[in-house]
Formats: sequence, structure tokens, C-alpha cells
Amino acid sequence: MDSAMTIILTGFDLLLSATLLWLAWQLLRSTDIFKAIIFFICFGLLMAIAWVRMHAPDVALAEAAIGAGLTGPLFLAALRKMERKQKKERRFDPEEKRDNPDKRWQVRSREASPLMWIVAALTLCFAGLLIRTVWIIPRPLPGLAQQTAAHLGASGVDNAVTAVLLNFRGYDTMLEVMVLLLGAITIWSITHAPFPPRLPDTSPVQKSAVRLLLPLICLTGGYLVWQGAYQTGGAFQGGAVLSAALVLLLISDFLWLPDMHSLPLRMGMVLGPLVFLSMAVLGIITENALLRFPPEQAGAFLLFLEAACAISIGLSLAAFFAGGRPASDLREKPYQTDQPDTEKEGS
Amino acid sequence: MVSAESWIAVPVVVPLAAALLSFLVRRGSLFISLAAAIINVLAAAILVNQFFVSGPAQYAVGGWDPPLGISLRTDGPALIMLVLTGLTGVAISLYAWGYFSFRIDQPARAGRPEKQERFFWPLWMLQLTGLNGLFLSGDIFNIYVTLELIGVSAAGLAALSGKSASITAALRYLLVSLLGSMSYLLGVVFLYKTYGVLDLGLLQKMAGPTPGVIAALAVMSVGLLLKTAIFPMHFWLPPAHANALAPVSAILSGLVVKGSFFLLFRLWFDIFSPALPHTAFSLMGALGAGAILWGGIQALRQQRLKLLIAYSTISQLGYLLIAFPLAFTGGNSQTWSAVLFMASGHACAKIAMFMSAGTIMLHLGHDRIRELAGIRAYLPVTAFAYAAAGVNLMGLPPSGGFIGKWMMLIASLSTHQWLWALVLLAGSFLAVAYVFRVVEQLFVIPPDAPFIERHPRAGLLEWPALILALISLLMGLIAPYPLRLLDTGMAPQVVQVIGG
Repeated sequence: MDSAMTIILTGFDLLLSATLLWLAWQLLRSTDIFKAIIFFICFGLLMAIAWVRMHAPDVALAEAAIGAGLTGPLFLAALRKMERKQKKERRFDPEEKRDNPDKRWQVRSREASPLMWIVAALTLCFAGLLIRTVWIIPRPLPGLAQQTAAHLGASGVDNAVTAVLLNFRGYDTMLEVMVLLLGAITIWSITHAPFPPRLPDTSPVQKSAVRLLLPLICLTGGYLVWQGAYQTGGAFQGGAVLSAALVLLLISDFLWLPDMHSLPLRMGMVLGPLVFLSMAVLGIITENALLRFPPEQAGAFLLFLEAACAISIGLSLAAFFAGGRPASDLREKPYQTDQPDTEKEGS
Repeated sequence: MVSAESWIAVPVVVPLAAALLSFLVRRGSLFISLAAAIINVLAAAILVNQFFVSGPAQYAVGGWDPPLGISLRTDGPALIMLVLTGLTGVAISLYAWGYFSFRIDQPARAGRPEKQERFFWPLWMLQLTGLNGLFLSGDIFNIYVTLELIGVSAAGLAALSGKSASITAALRYLLVSLLGSMSYLLGVVFLYKTYGVLDLGLLQKMAGPTPGVIAALAVMSVGLLLKTAIFPMHFWLPPAHANALAPVSAILSGLVVKGSFFLLFRLWFDIFSPALPHTAFSLMGALGAGAILWGGIQALRQQRLKLLIAYSTISQLGYLLIAFPLAFTGGNSQTWSAVLFMASGHACAKIAMFMSAGTIMLHLGHDRIRELAGIRAYLPVTAFAYAAAGVNLMGLPPSGGFIGKWMMLIASLSTHQWLWALVLLAGSFLAVAYVFRVVEQLFVIPPDAPFIERHPRAGLLEWPALILALISLLMGLIAPYPLRLLDTGMAPQVVQVIGG
């Protein structure tokens, strides 16, 4: 019985690996960017299954939510923006329209040049060296799993991954949460969210579906955060699910969205990092070490922390998708005719 | 009661809090950030004091000792970088205050300077957090996280000016920097799989020339060289640094590249020196020699002041790499002091230069080197700051650059490595040429020089630059103090390697 199971699973693994490689190859050689994005999303979903097979359900959940779930729509949004820009350019250039009637954005299909072959050969050599190095690292591989298990009782949670992320190596996670916020700040600093200047033409079906789905998605996100203490889940996964809800809102052209104020959004984005930082400092004051939680209340502390972070992560990821700060925030005045824009700009 | 040990967390926590608050509360962001920069310097001073009293310190974050938890640590090199970043950080904050109030008073496009100012402060504070975190961290994975903070905020800062040239350069910068981080992360994976720990101190005890370590160091070093813009991987630096706003150029050229260089230094000399073959050090020296010559020649060919300064950064970074073979083959611990001297002298001088270039650009509206004549008439302090910083780049006494180059020359002559000595001299001559190209313009006042009105806030633009330039110029005179930090600060193993 067991051996039959092993054979089936091995077969499944082989099939999975082959499909992943095939998808990656298709993605790379596709000249149509839209097709490539679809391949990318498929790749992410199958990769998530691969992570499950490698006994890393937390990574699998993150891969599914962020790798396939959020990055895919991000690419699609970028593609739409590129197409819109191309259309605008074509309007001034009727010649090109006649030559290239295909509406889709295409990459030039490249001829295989000698340089490309050299690069490919070098990459293969490098990959070979890496594989060889991995091969000759002495087994069994050392790690910190035992230590983690030994201290799990004092961490306040039962899930080892959450214990490492938020307690043992909470300092890393604090800075990671900042990196995510930093990404959102950077995107806000560059431009406004490009809401199309047209009346919404979303179908009523989509709108009511979104209205029905939103509470459910928020509930799922909240459950994932809560579940993080016991099994797979946590702030990043919950936050990614919340951001999916926000992305749904963003693509459904609700009229009030472009008029959002920036302050409540900023408060939401900063909430998680600020709570994290305050708790870190609280540790210095009460427990005499940065980010140390009293073992008895650690569980409650961590849950509060994760909930706050999930909200901020969700908002920051949605800000990536929206692609800029709210339309009313820090507007640049348009050019005035009597005041020419000199070269002084951007010294 | 809060213990004295906890001061080590302040250089990370305070700028981080300032970043969050200045993103949230925009009106007071300038003063929040300025206060954070000042507290950061005070904390650095207190840490130095603690170091002299009780030696290198280690601090377990969260109360979890390594290998389970993350440790922060102070030692001589880390403290030198911390103090350097703190001091220049205050100067940059003051300069940015003057710079943005100038721009907001005379906007080329209404609303744009306000936007730049609002986003500058949180990004700059996150950059400071990342740099301080990198210097203090004792954990290779945590260092990866700080590298991400540094890389993303640097790209955000570089894109701040909003011109399409700067956004293109910033995106390229971001991609390069992510590539470097990924490469570093791959190395972290190899190390963890080989030894099962991430703590620098534990790795130092275990490290040997095993295939895992060699592979790890190779990919990590390539990633870090890419981030440090070492020739021939420097292509991304000039456009990114030259197209940014002036305070941003100063941050990028003076501090950001030093962060990844510092990490390279730690890995090669502090942690893994027993595991590395001699040829690796010579290779680093060769890259450095290429950087010195190529950067110097390119700097001579530039027509724009900011591009010239950016290429000079590439050239000066080369010196730091030449020290690798010198320190390894029979040199002494002095070579290492030389490297940190060069790095801090260059940081101060380069920040002062970019500040001066920014001031000139604000007043003239351009930075074409041929048309700079007459600046001294109305910006005398700026002209002097530029020249004083130039002295450091040329390596004339008593600047920090002179001490650094002198130590390296002695090391290369006493170990009969004439080639490096020749490169050092050639680099200095190139520096003389490209510094004088600008200085001769600055100090000439042609009879028909246009009259340009000084801005009332120009003091905030001029004095931070001058003070940093003077620090770099007089660094040679205060040399014994930083050296004392290094003498007690080296891990015993390192002293043994470079001393014996």
C-alpha cells in the first residue's frame, strides 16, 4: 500500500517538475506579453503545489497569494497601461496602424544571435556549478529546526513558522514589513493612481458579485491571520488575501474610489509598522530587550501584532496595484504659459 | 529600568519611527527627521563611549541568543561607519532643509518641489535605518533585509526628481540592486545549508575552505560588487547619481555604496579570511585598479559637473579594493585602517562636492563645467568647500585621503608590490587633473560675470558642505582617535591574519 502511494507521488512529482519547466520555457519564448503573463500565473499556481509537496505549506500559501494572485494582476495592469499609451501614440502616427493591425502588445521575436548562445552557455555552466556545489555539501544538512522546537513553548504560538517569523526573528520581520511599506511609499512618490478618465462601464453582475464577495474575502483573511498561531497562515498570507479584496474593488470602477483621501490610507498603511515598532520599544522598557514579549502574554501580543500588520500589508499591496497615490494628494499644478519650465528642474 | 545596553537599538529604532511619522504627519516631517538625525549621532557617540569602557558588545534582540535569535553587535569598524553616517546624516538633513526651501520658493513647476520634499524625508529616514541596521547587524540574513531597505529606498530617492531621465536611471538602479541582493541571498542559503547557522560570530568560528563557503562567498561578492558599482559593473551609477536631486546624489554617492562595501569588507576580512585563496585577493585588486583608471579618465571627459563627480566616485571606490591584496599579503593592520580612512574621507568629501554642485546648480540653473566661472563672487563658501573636498580626493596632506593613500603606498612598497603603487600614483594624478578642471573655473572671476542674487537661505546650503569638506581635509590630524577604535575593535583572528 505504502509503496504504491510512493510510486504515485513520485510520478506526480516528476509530472509537476516537467510541467513547471515546460511552462517556464513557454513563458520565455512567447512573443505575446499577454500570453506570457497567463503562463506566469499558471507557473505560480503549480509552484504553490510544488511547495506543498516539499512540506512548506506556508511558502505555498504565500506563493499562491502573492506570486500568482497579486503579481499576475499587477502585470496585467501594467500591460493595459502600455497598450493605452501605445494607442495614444498611434493616434498621431497613422502609418504604423496600417502596418501593425494587431492590437496586442508584442515583443520583437529575436533571432538567436551568437551573443545569446554565449550567454546561454555561461548560464548553463553557472547552473551546473551551483548544482554540483549543492550536491557535495555534506549530508545531513544542519539547521535550526531542533532549537526552534525546543523553544516553541516560550514563543506564545504553536506554529513553528509563526514563532520564528514573529518571535525568534521578529526583528527581521519588522524590517521586512518596513520594506513593504517602503515600496508603497516609493510608488506614491512617483505618480498618481491612473484612474481612467471615463465613466465606469462595469457590468452590474460584476458589481454585485464584488459586493457579495468582499465580506467573505475579508473573513477569510481574518481567519488566516488568526489561524497563524496554530497552523499555516499569518499576517503576510492574511494581508495578501485582504489585498485581493481591495484589488477587486479597484477593478470594479466604484465611483468613490478615485476621490479617496490620502490621510486615512496613510494611517492604515502605517498602522502595522507603527504597532510593531511600539511593541519593540515596549520590550526595551518592560522586558529589557528590543522586541521581547513576556512569555505568558506573548500569544495575545503576537495576534494583535499580526492583525495590525495584515491590514497594513493588504493596503500596501493594493497600493502597488493602484500604481500611485490618491488623485487629490499633492497635485502638481499644470504648466503656466507665462512661466516657461526651465532647465532648473531636477538639479 | 532601561539598561545601557539598549542604546544599540537606537540608531535603528529612531530613524524608523521618524520615517513612519514623517510619512503620516507631513507638515512636521522636516523637524521629525532632523531630530531623529541628531538623536542618531548622540546614540552613536554613546555607543563609542561604551565601547571604550567595556569593549565590543553583543545584544540579543528579543532576548533570544544566537543561533536561534538575531544579535546586534558593535566593534571598531561598525562604530566608525556608524559615526560617519550619523555626522554626515545631520549635515545632509540640514542641507536638504535649505535645498527644498529654496526650490519651494522658486519652483520651476508649482507643486513639484513640495511633493519631492514630502517624500524625501520618509525615504531618507528609511535609508538611514537600513544603513545603521547593516553596520550593527550580526546576522547574515538580517543583513539581507537591511540591504533590501537600502536598495529600495535608494531607488526611490533617485527617482524623486520626477524627470524621465532620473526615473529610467532609478529603475535600472533598482533592478541592479535587486540582482545584487538576490545574489547575496543565494550565498546566505549556501552558508545556512553548510553550517546551519546565520550568526556572523558563529560562522567565523566554523568557516573553512569548503565548497559551500567558496560558492557562497563568490555569489555574495559578485552581488555586493555590483551594488558597490565596482568597475566593470559600474554602468548604472553615473546616470542614477547625476540625475538625482542634490541631497539625494550626496546620499547615494557618499553613503549607499559604502554600505555594501562595508559588508564586503566584513565578509572577506572579518568572517571568512581563512577560507579564501590568495588569487581572490589579487583579483579584487585588479578590479580596483581598473576602477581607478577608468573612472578617472571618464571623469576627465565629462562636460557636466555632476557627472564628473559621479565618475570620480567610481574611481575612488577602486582604492578601497586595491587594499584587499595589500592587506592580505604581508601588510599590516594599518592597511585596514587605511581603507576605513579612505572610505570615510571619501564619504565626507563626496557629499560636500555633491552639495556644492547642487548649490551651484540652484543658483545658476545648470552645471556645465565650461560656464561655471565667477561662482566665487557670490558663493565663496561653496567654492572653497568644493576645493577643500578636492584636496581630499587628490590625496594631499593633511586630508584623510592622504593618510589612506600613504599607508597603502607604504604597504605596497614594503611588500614589493610595485604595480599597485603605480596605480595609486596614477589615480592621484588623474584626480588632480579632474579636480583642477573645475576648481580653475570656480576661482576665476571674468569681468563680464553675470550678477546672481544669493538666496536668503543659502547659508543652509553652504555651511554643511564646508564643514564636511573641512572634516575630510583635517581628518589626518585627528587620525589617532579613529585608529584607537580599530585597535581594540578588530576581532582577534583578523589581527592575527593581517598582522602575522
